[in-house]
Amino acid sequence: MTNQVAAVHAVEIAGLNKIFNAGKSSAVEALVDVDLRIAPGEFVSLIGPSGCGKSTLLRLIANLLEPSSGTVLVNGKPAATARQDQDYGMAFQQSGLFEWRSVVRNIELPLELKGWDKAKRRARALEMLELVKLGDFASHMPWQLSGGMQQRVAIARALAAHPPLLLMDEPFGALDEMTREHMQSELLQICARTSTTVVFVTHSIPEAVYLSNRVVVMSPRPGRITEIIDVDLGGERDEGTREDSAFYGRITAVREALRGVEMTGGARGIEDR
Amino acid sequence: MSRRLRPVVMFCVAMLLVAVLWEGYKAIGPEKGGEILGFGILPRTNDQVMPHVWSMIGGMFDPAQRTGGDTVLQVVLSGAWYSFRIALVGFAVGVAFGMAIAVVLSRFRLAERAVLPYLVISQTVPLIALAPLVAGWGGKLQIGDWVWPRWMSAALLGAFLAFFPVAVGTLRGLKSANPASLELMDSLAASWWRTLITLRFPSAVPYIVPALKLGGAGAVVGVVVAEISIGLKGGIGRLIIEYSRQATSEPTKVFTSIFGAALLGLTMAAIVAGIDALLMRNRPRETTS
Ligand SMILES: Nc1ncnc2c1ncn2[C@@H]1O[C@H](COP(=O)(O)OP(=O)(O)OP(=O)(O)O)[C@@H](O)[C@H]1O
Ligand SMILES: [Mg+2]
Repeated sequence: MTNQVAAVHAVEIAGLNKIFNAGKSSAVEALVDVDLRIAPGEFVSLIGPSGCGKSTLLRLIANLLEPSSGTVLVNGKPAATARQDQDYGMAFQQSGLFEWRSVVRNIELPLELKGWDKAKRRARALEMLELVKLGDFASHMPWQLSGGMQQRVAIARALAAHPPLLLMDEPFGALDEMTREHMQSELLQICARTSTTVVFVTHSIPEAVYLSNRVVVMSPRPGRITEIIDVDLGGERDEGTREDSAFYGRITAVREALRGVEMTGGARGIEDR
Repeated sequence: MSRRLRPVVMFCVAMLLVAVLWEGYKAIGPEKGGEILGFGILPRTNDQVMPHVWSMIGGMFDPAQRTGGDTVLQVVLSGAWYSFRIALVGFAVGVAFGMAIAVVLSRFRLAERAVLPYLVISQTVPLIALAPLVAGWGGKLQIGDWVWPRWMSAALLGAFLAFFPVAVGTLRGLKSANPASLELMDSLAASWWRTLITLRFPSAVPYIVPALKLGGAGAVVGVVVAEISIGLKGGIGRLIIEYSRQATSEPTKVFTSIFGAALLGLTMAAIVAGIDALLMRNRPRETTS
């Protein structure tokens, strides 16, 4: 049984190409020849200059876009089937909360669509709220919360159905540095506890290194993967990790990989923090 | 509490102000009317054209018929009540139709391009011209024992004025849904219908509410004008016409009927305000002035 589960990749991408507006003069080669395998429970970050296709790759995994060619498998299933089965949860830079629903009812939304009954829904939503440390805010409206709290609600919503895969597109982009680091630690804890696989898009090198088992470095025009950097920091990651020399070593490695991208493509929009 | 009371107080102050201005002009204005630069634009101030405020109020309690019976106020109020019910039906039909159209148009891009111009054109047809036409068609309608009642023609014309702002407002609102939220619904494999109910309609509410205000006013105007135009008895529209014919002998009567029409409009506005408060509770609101 365990062997079988290990044999199925959480995400398996092979020969993936995505061309927007194919055949027209405005055609954009957003992704070219992308191959990527992600093991269950792994935390993988996508980093690269603006326009290199990170969001596009994430949307292809989510089946919100159709590939021009190539295959995307999620949990061994075609991406479309995985979406129908709600095999992943999603969180974006904008929290996308429904302002007319209370916090707890926002978190219930994926469960509602799964057809769960009300009591079960409520119980799970409250449990998720505890997880993101917002237990006291269940009946608040989203607009009564700060940006960071809203983002945590969005993460709780993404996790509510206990999806095996979490897709996140710059979820902490709008947060200040302190909140951001705090949220990173919380995210790591939550994912470890629920053994969730994560694909995480970011512009921040330290964020990518701190969170990930592997950092995927991408380059633009055409968008492709240039390097995959393993991040083995050994043992638990906590606030101490951020001062570790191994941590800095990995940051340098990612930075150099990105610099290579800069030589060829021209890196913009990478934050060195 | 004081926030609720304020509009009421403001309203009373405004009414008082109007009465003061009225009496003030009546006191100093020219008896026979006046001319400015050769145009006869200053209204005459005699009791025929501008009765005293107190004689208007007193006139409300005179019997409507020379032979006695119900007072003018009673007749006007029951006329307003009759028209109000018709306007309410027209409003409901107009809102339902307007929303249904908006849903269909938001679903099919092509339909929007094809249909929307016709909706805009429809609103340029003068109601006065349309009213006898609708009444004429209605008069021919008969299904089994059921005959098209004449008041339904008036309701339909109210609906005709109510549906347009509602359709346009709802359509804009349905399209205003946040792209991130739409993508979320997609990622949850929600059906089009489900997305409509859980996301698009609630997103449209802030657009629908002001549209309802316009629609409510439209329904009242449509019904009153239709009553006059098709000669429907029993409503406030007919009373306004009837009493203005008697203005030479009983000048205050027509004012009572105008108050009745104003009351009708205000009641509709209050209902819409109630719907507004109900729909917009729990929503972030900019402080409305
Ligand atoms: N819907 C679309 N239609 C046409 N072109 C698109 C579309 N979405 C993305 N693109 C193009 O594809 C390329 C990759 O875009 P994408 O949004 O994936 O970049 P990104 O790496 O997420 O950038 P950023 O870091 O700025 O978010 C860009 O050149 C963009 O212009
Ligand atoms: Mg992006």
